[in-house]
Amino acid sequence: MFNQNGLSLDQAPPISVVFRFFLSGSLFGLLAGTFICLFGTDIFNPDTTQALIITHTLTLGVMLSFMFAALFQMLPVIAGIKLTAPTQKANLVQYPFILGVLSLLFAFHSGKPAFFMGASLLLGSAILGIAFVMLKNLIALPNHSNSSRGMSVALTSLVVLTLLALYMTGTLAGLWQGNYYTQIKTAHYSFGLFGWIALLIISISFQVIEMFYVTPPYPAFISKSLPQRVFGLLLIGTVGSFFFEKTWMVIDLFIIIFMLCYALMTLRRLSQRKRPIADATVWLWRLGMGLLVLSMAATLDTRFYDVASLKALNYIFFAGFALSIVLAMFYKIVPFLTWFHLNSQGYFTAPMMHEVIHPKTAMKHLYIHIATLLAFTVSVFIPAVIYLAATLTLLSFGWMLWQIVHAWKLYVHTQKTGEKFEMNIA
Amino acid sequence: MGIAQFMTDEHRSCDDHFAAAEQAAANSDWQTAEKAFLAFSNDTLTHFKREEEELFPTFEAQTGNVQGPTQVMRYEHEQVKGLIGKLAEALEAQDRDAYLSLCESMMILLQQHNMKEEQMLYAMCERLLPPDLKEETLSKMKQVEL
Ligand SMILES: [Fe+2]
Ligand SMILES: [Fe+2]
Repeated sequence: MFNQNGLSLDQAPPISVVFRFFLSGSLFGLLAGTFICLFGTDIFNPDTTQALIITHTLTLGVMLSFMFAALFQMLPVIAGIKLTAPTQKANLVQYPFILGVLSLLFAFHSGKPAFFMGASLLLGSAILGIAFVMLKNLIALPNHSNSSRGMSVALTSLVVLTLLALYMTGTLAGLWQGNYYTQIKTAHYSFGLFGWIALLIISISFQVIEMFYVTPPYPAFISKSLPQRVFGLLLIGTVGSFFFEKTWMVIDLFIIIFMLCYALMTLRRLSQRKRPIADATVWLWRLGMGLLVLSMAATLDTRFYDVASLKALNYIFFAGFALSIVLAMFYKIVPFLTWFHLNSQGYFTAPMMHEVIHPKTAMKHLYIHIATLLAFTVSVFIPAVIYLAATLTLLSFGWMLWQIVHAWKLYVHTQKTGEKFEMNIA
Repeated sequence: MGIAQFMTDEHRSCDDHFAAAEQAAANSDWQTAEKAFLAFSNDTLTHFKREEEELFPTFEAQTGNVQGPTQVMRYEHEQVKGLIGKLAEALEAQDRDAYLSLCESMMILLQQHNMKEEQMLYAMCERLLPPDLKEETLSKMKQVEL
């Protein structure tokens, strides 16, 4: 029974399931960098098509890809959920998803209803399909942790924001009138930024901060109910906005408070960690939390000062927050999985985590990432700097791509040439 | 003190020894590293033995489930033991880079294992075992030695 298909490995999906989503995420990142080269600072004006295109390349193409990778990997580890036929499911999600994102970008660019139609069908089926499968498994769990409960809430937000998006793409495809377009749009991005991206990061962090850095657990007032409360607020905001225009003003205020509590608590936990060595991922978490705080401060400020540059900064800070956490997860998950799978398969020669990605390589990416964020920030005031920011974006995602390809090659190479150890304990 | 609390405390104390060893190795203070690592491996192996010889069989008898969570836990113990061996080799060789790299794998492996126990297995034991049996199992576990 303890042969190469050990029980623990049985629970984890094949490494290719996780790596393929990291791969598509970084390829979309390169696409985003290319778009920024072409569009320049137009991306900072939320009313432009360019802003729509770059936002969806980043949130859908990059972030959702990475989050699929995280979900496929973390559901078995965090919640003990074993998805049946994970490779097949990953294929069924990934191909329509990639085509759907491209179709949506073409739709924004051309305004042609047919592309909106195609995007609706492809993205709707891929995202809702996998979200339902994952939610069904989560709901069936007999024992919930704070993390698995939070992930259920985040996935529900993904369903809601996708349905809201379908209302909009349906309108643009000419299927219906879309009388509530404005309200739905606000609800869509609120659920997207807070309900999905922020809550998924938060729920996963309840587990991984403790697990990777050996810290005390989050206090119950955050880990037990924060995701549910944020979700509730988003619902109230959505429904309320049909009756009172200013509903979101109040709702956002509460959400900001929750986000600040979470960010400050995470910074505190990171300073309480038992493992004193601060690798790149610790700094990426700190950077991410710092950016979340800045982004919330900027959101608060845009209440009082309707200044374009402030909105642009908010945009940069929030994207920086999400990407920093993605990188922090990436630099733990990729080396660990490569080692873990090979080791569990019984290879003597399984490369150690540092051989897959050396800590110095991760550190270099941290510097590139910081430089990218600084360049974007400066470009709000000196537009020409946007081209430096775009180049750094390309470098950053290219760096990531290279790490995945390298890890994958090492994995395949070890499987081909490595010496194997047959464990016959029974 | 109940089973869950006692065992969770043991996890935490092992973490402390482990972190001390890692920090010392990072500073190339091999003497301190060795001492802390020995404490870590002794405590961890004793803890595993308490689980494998007392807690898991009790759980299995009570639930009638011998193929479930306890089997996964046993398998993960084997993985951790394998890593302890490799860490000891790296320590012996005073190979700082290898030691720190193995530490990274060890912590992820061990932490996710401990969390599964704390959140699921120990919690289930607390809920499912009758009070006398809990007390009996705990006192038996305390007597286990390496
Ligand atoms: Fe254990
Ligand atoms: Fe344990």
